[in-house]
This record gives sequence, C-alpha cells and structure tokens, in this order.
Amino acid sequence: MGNVKNNLKEIKTIKEIPEEELVTGGTFACGGCNAIYGTRLTLKALGKNTIMVNTSGCMTLTAIYPFTPYKVPWVHNAIENGASTASGILMGLKALKKDKNTNIVVYAGDGATYDIGLQALSGMVSRNEKIIYICYNNGTFGNTGFQKSAATPYGANTTTTPPGKKSEIGNIFKRKNIVKMMHINGAAYSATASTSHPVDYINKLRRAAKSGGPAFIDLLCPCIPGWGIEESQGSRIGEKLVESGMWPLYEINKKGEFILTHKPKMIPVKEAMKNQKRFQHLDSKQIKEIQKIINTEWEKIKKGGIWTTEFY
Amino acid sequence: MSKKELLDGNQAAAWAVKLANVQSFPCFPITPQTEIIETIAKWKADGKLKNLVFNELESEHSVISAALGSQMTGARTFTATSSQGIMLMHEILPIISGTRMPLVMVNVSRALSAPITLWPDHNDFLAMRDAGWIMFCCETNQEVLDTIIMAYKIAENKKVMLPVLINMDGFIHSYTRTEVEIPDQKKVSKFLMKTKQKNRLDVKKPMTLGGAVLEEEYIKYRSQLHSAHLEAINVIKNVQKKWKDKFKRRYYVVEEYGMKNAKAALVIMGSYSTIAKSAVDNLKSKGINVGIVRLRLIRPFPSDEIRSALGHVNEIGVFDQNLSPGLGGILYSEVKACLKKNKNVSSFIGGLGGKPVSEKDFEEIFKTLLREKKEMRKWVM
Repeated sequence: MGNVKNNLKEIKTIKEIPEEELVTGGTFACGGCNAIYGTRLTLKALGKNTIMVNTSGCMTLTAIYPFTPYKVPWVHNAIENGASTASGILMGLKALKKDKNTNIVVYAGDGATYDIGLQALSGMVSRNEKIIYICYNNGTFGNTGFQKSAATPYGANTTTTPPGKKSEIGNIFKRKNIVKMMHINGAAYSATASTSHPVDYINKLRRAAKSGGPAFIDLLCPCIPGWGIEESQGSRIGEKLVESGMWPLYEINKKGEFILTHKPKMIPVKEAMKNQKRFQHLDSKQIKEIQKIINTEWEKIKKGGIWTTEFY
Repeated sequence: MSKKELLDGNQAAAWAVKLANVQSFPCFPITPQTEIIETIAKWKADGKLKNLVFNELESEHSVISAALGSQMTGARTFTATSSQGIMLMHEILPIISGTRMPLVMVNVSRALSAPITLWPDHNDFLAMRDAGWIMFCCETNQEVLDTIIMAYKIAENKKVMLPVLINMDGFIHSYTRTEVEIPDQKKVSKFLMKTKQKNRLDVKKPMTLGGAVLEEEYIKYRSQLHSAHLEAINVIKNVQKKWKDKFKRRYYVVEEYGMKNAKAALVIMGSYSTIAKSAVDNLKSKGINVGIVRLRLIRPFPSDEIRSALGHVNEIGVFDQNLSPGLGGILYSEVKACLKKNKNVSSFIGGLGGKPVSEKDFEEIFKTLLREKKEMRKWVM
C-alpha cells in the first residue's frame, strides 16, 4: 500500500469517481441504505490514507465480528464522542509524526452530531484540529427506531413526534442551523451535501481535506425504513428534497463566503414529500405552510441573506 | 543520575509522565488534580517535553475519549482526573478495557457530590471497580511516581494489554510535599522499552477496532478480559520485583506491616495507612501485637494474598474510606468474601470527605477488635 499521495483533485462527472471500493458489500445495512453508500463515497473521495471514526448507530452494526467491510482503519467508540475520539487520534498521529498525510474522518449520525455529540464537535472545531466531520443525516435517531433528533424536519412523523388528535403536525421544532454554527465556531470549511449528488459531495470532501483545518459536512442520507420509502428510491427522494429547496446544497469557506453549489429547480415541496410515509399525515394546509417557509427562506438566500435563514 | 526532591503527589505524577516518555496527554482541569496538568503544560512551554503532544479538551468525557483515540494509534498516552471528572468519564472506561488499550490514568481521589466537597475519600476510585481496569491505590508520593512508571510496563505486557488506574489521595498526597527520589531517566527508559502495539489504527495495516459482536461472542470477550486480569497479577508481581532490582524500592500487591504474630489486623488502603501504621507502632511498644494489611492492588483483587496475610489472625477489621449506601464498606464486603467463615471480620467506616482519623482512633479500633472478639459494624466519626 505504501504512502500513496492523497489525490484530492476535483471532478466534473460521475465517471471520474474512483472505482476502487474501500467498503465492501455484505453488511447488515438495509437494502438501499444511503448511509452505507455515503461511507463508500467518503472513502472513494479521500482514499486509503484515511482513518474513519464511527459513532454508535446503524453504521456501527456494519462491522460485526468477525466481519468488517472496511479496508481502511475504522474505529467505533461511543455515540457522543466521535469528534473527541478523532481529536485523540490526531494527537497520537502527531506524536508518531504520521499526521501530515493521513485524513481523519468522523462519520456520525445526526443524533450523534446535532444532539448528544455537539459539545465534543464544538471543542474539536474550536481547537482548530485537522479533522473532517461528516454528519450522515437522516433526520432521526434511526438505529433506535426513528425518534426525533434536532435534525428532524418540521412536520415529520417520528416515533416520539407522532401526529395525533391533539397534535396533528408531528415534529413542531425547527432543524438546528448546524452548518452555520460550525462556521461561526471556527470551521475552516463547512457545507451541506446529499448522497443524491455524489460529484458535489466528493468535491466538497476534497475541499474539506485541503482546507487544512476542522471541516464539517452535513450529508443528507435518505433512510429507507425511517422515512417509509421504497428501497430503490433513496437517491431519487434526496434529489427531490434538493430540487424543492428543502435541502439546499451550499458551502461556507473560512472567509465566511457563502457559495450555493447547486441551483434547485424549486419543484413544489408537496412533490418532494409525496412518497415519504413520514409526511403522509400532513394535510394540504400544513403542506402549504411548509411551502411558505421554504419560499421565505429562499427569498432570503437569493438576496444574500443566508445568515438570517432559520432552517439552513 | 537519580536525585531527591521535595515533591507533592501531583508533581510526582508529572515527573513520572516525563520519565515514562509519555507521547500524548489529553487533559481537563479539576481540583485537586490540576497541578499535574499545569506542571506538564509549563514543562511543555519551556521546551522540556519535545516528544509529548499536550491538549486541553473541553470535558473529561472528551479527554477519556481522546485518550482512547490516541492510545489506539499506538502512542503511549496518559491522563489524570478526579471525583466528578472520573464519574463523567465512566461510560468510556469499560470501552478502553474492552478494546484492550494499555492506557494509564491517575485519579486524585476526592469525595463525590452531593454535598459537594474538595476533600478525599475513595468512592470516586472504587466506583470504577467493575470497569475492567487494573487498579492501584498508593500510600506515598514516592509510590505514586514509581507506580505510574511500573503501570506502563504492566499495561503494555502482551499477556495483559489492560488499562491501569492509579489512585492518590487528594490534598494528603496531591498538595503535601515529601521527599521523593526521581529515578535516572536513562534507567527508566531502558526499563520501559516500548514495543509496537499490535491492535492499532494504522493506514498501512487497516484494522477495525470497537466493532460489534452478537450474543454468542460477547461473553467470550468478557471471559478473556477476566482471564487477562488473573494473568496480570503474576505480571504485576514480576514487574514489582524487577523494580526492586533496578530502583531498590520493593512493592507488594498486599503489604503486610507488623503482621508477624499479630493478634488483630486492620485491612486498609491509601494515605490513612500511614497513620494506622503509627498506631500499630504505638501499640507494639506497649506490648499489644497488632498489624496492618494494606491493599495496594484493588483489581485484579488479590484474594490469595489477602488470605495468606490474614491466615493466622482471627480478629480482623476492615477500614473503609468509602460507603456503598445500603450495603456498607466496599472493601469490607470484598475482603470478608475471600476469608474463611471462622474469623471475626468487622467493618469500620471513616475518613469520608477527608474527615481526619487519628492514631488514637486507629488504636481504639485495634483495642475494640481485641476486646470484643466478635463481628461489628462501626463508624469512626
């Protein structure tokens, strides 16, 4: 294997994505799982000189003794400490003088990131540590059976925000503004991405690696059982969420420049929510309310007002 | 060359970190441990620790998580904490023993809140007794320094591969200076030759660490962890012997003091042992033959050594500077469980939250044991 120089060139088409798989098949991941697909893309982008840190969740159950799908060093510690485990790995690599040519990437769920692991993540970013932190975001605590997290979208049905006679809307909370938060915290690079847009994600990962400091990417990963969608439809639904404006693709560099990396077609949110069970309880009035929120947010973005948006 | 200096326990620990060529030290401040990290930070700033990576994180939970990450790269790692700090770390401790990482940590004992206090007892340290770590409880500042260095030799032994927790008492050790011999750096480096850690995160040799198991496997891992502990006791004895050969100080997993022909014995650990030993001397000078059995090693629990030390004594007291509410003293139940039923084993609970226990108090304990000749449960307060 040797000390292969990291190839961090940006790509234009899907054909330029490296063919080599650093995550094999054979895991217990659900058919059509976008989170395990995300690990493949992550390691294709960053290459063999990468150590991957996992937090407790669905991806932990991809490596069940004696099987492992990972062809790079991979470690699971606990749920809230992906960032701090990575901080320690960086310390160890520095002590051994191996830190220069090694990527450390945390691949953590949204519950482990937005909620229980936020303190460790904030500490890692404030210490300016060269670590790439990926939040694979399905907007729920997926592995425990789809409970609300701080990344759950407004109006979603989860097992802890079920719609009922007295509370019809499902989740009443707004999603935490974590990408902006990480920029303000001091991240060298922060971005959103979606598994439905792999070229965009791979380029963002490579920009993150080149940023030389703490980098944060919030990666939308549609969840087959959690969202109640067809196995074959994960990426399609991700694409619709992006094109409806519900999941904008953007990045913020160290200087604070906001760059929209994909211009959405702005299809109706109703269309994006259509084949997802988590939104089936919403009536047309409630969907209109969500459409209005999205429209208002995009008006702000178009006028350069990303910093005053509430959801993104 | 070795040299003698007046050092408190925290400084002794810092010296041990330097002598052991520790490569990585994630930390977070908590009284009464803070002086360890301040001392190392200053040495680092002065350029005296070129090969150490020092990092102050944002909580003890992150510190212990980082310590695991760091140790998993194969870098020799150290950290230190106390009281509420080790309680916050608790979740990660069994992960470190379960992944068989040879990390070394110092706990500067301090009673647990509430009510919040700064003074020592052993409830923080003993709360970790099921975490799978090797556990030492020290009596002197010299022992703190020596044990940290020996701990790496024990932890990194291929038959052991377990983390080690070393306790010193807050204030009594941490802030009290005594004469400590600082061993020669070259001799320590030679004693602690580092071999490459096999289970590590290395891009040239990819390995999955901390993966999941199914129900057939879990119990096998736990039984292997237990076997490693049982094996460790021989390794510990061996390392202590080697330490005596190289550095002239002899340590035992269970220390016997004045036990020859003793009519009553007190089992104890930590700094209060020194006071209890004075009480033994006082009584012996008056013709009352009693002795001390000091537990230096808490995990693996040295049952055989305790049985052998107490074999000829029938009146036994166990002094617990800790409390398991609703049960009593923790050491009492563990010591009693490994002794024959024909002995009178009594419990004495005292020193909680740093409450002083005097030589007179200990003399009274011995006199009570000899007078009553029955099992008792008493508080010294």
